[in-house]
Amino acid sequence: MNPPALRALLADSLTLWGVTGRVEIADCGVRIIAGDQVLHVAQAAPEEAPMRWWLLRDGRRRPAGSILGLLRSLRYALNATSTEPARARVAAPL
Amino acid sequence: MIPVSVITGFLGSGKTTLLRSVLRDPAYAGSAVIVNEWGDIGLDHELLETSEENLLGLANGCLCCTTRGDLARTLIDLAARRKSGAVTYHRVLIETTGLADPAPILHTLLMDPSIAEDHRVEAVVTVVDALLGAETITRHPEATQQAMLADRLLLSKTDLAPDTSALEAALASLNPGAPILRAVHGAIPPDMLFASAAGPETLQHWLEAIATPGARHSAGVETISILREEPLPAVVLPLFLEALAEHAGEKLLRMKGIICVAEAPGKPAVLHGVRHVLHPIQWLEDWPSADRRSRLVLIGQGIPQWWPVRLLEALEEEARA
Repeated sequence: MNPPALRALLADSLTLWGVTGRVEIADCGVRIIAGDQVLHVAQAAPEEAPMRWWLLRDGRRRPAGSILGLLRSLRYALNATSTEPARARVAAPL
Repeated sequence: MIPVSVITGFLGSGKTTLLRSVLRDPAYAGSAVIVNEWGDIGLDHELLETSEENLLGLANGCLCCTTRGDLARTLIDLAARRKSGAVTYHRVLIETTGLADPAPILHTLLMDPSIAEDHRVEAVVTVVDALLGAETITRHPEATQQAMLADRLLLSKTDLAPDTSALEAALASLNPGAPILRAVHGAIPPDMLFASAAGPETLQHWLEAIATPGARHSAGVETISILREEPLPAVVLPLFLEALAEHAGEKLLRMKGIICVAEAPGKPAVLHGVRHVLHPIQWLEDWPSADRRSRLVLIGQGIPQWWPVRLLEALEEEARA
């Protein structure tokens, strides 16, 4: 996933979560600035598989194995979970 | 499994008139009817000509909020009485109040294991007043919600409104997948309303309605259509649905889709969901038409237009890596 595509997805995600902020392309991948928080998202190197992403904040790195895990980590890091995120539930067959 | 259909529509739209007409049809005369009324004195159920033991009134509250528990208990009690032979019915029709949001009602019907054990949701029919409907859906979010969640939209009082084109355009914008039917005094063959919403006729209608990808906006509601030429790896499907539920959760009012899965391109997967509640994927034996592209419609409020597409592409890229 190239940085512009990642930036677009994360910027849309901030909007979806109701977070005011901006997403910029940075040397490592993208930088997210929301309030007084600055986070970075970087793609993991091939030898770091099965990790695919790193979320960096305050000198700490948190790994994510998929874009789904990255979004979840980022949302929690931004404290954008005013209500418990819904989990998919399976209904009876139609 | 006992089929359950929900009849909703704004105040005065003609729900009870429709129900009276439906119950005159011999095939529907033996339905169990649950009428929800708001107010201390219920009148609507007095207007229905059906056997007393099959008619239940839920007054003093709205099904979508205060009396949801009553609905569950009523359905479970009814099913128990049916099993014991105390009552006979082959389907349940639920008439909501005019201010009801159908989503929590559907949630109760779909997710309460005691209900889902014996019942299946067949269709949500929303009655829209042909004369006043355009103004109503502009002014009242309840009416908008009712239109968006319909499997079928029924224009009532069409004898009073010679030109319904503006209303039909507004309804199609809110809910492009729902067929718009017409009736005067509720006169319409009930099967046109209550046939399973997962059936081929409904599927074909919304597939045609969403032929154009992109987003349409109306009254703060977005209809986002996704069209994909390439088959999707099977693993992407549950990940995408999980992400939709987790992040778009309460903002996603309805989702329908037909997906070409790379591992089984001849057997399309049909998706149905209300908010974060998803039905198990249906696998069709064949495509309903020559068009074998994946198509997905999301109806929601506050979901960025391109977020679902971007997410899908990101997941697909990871799956193919």
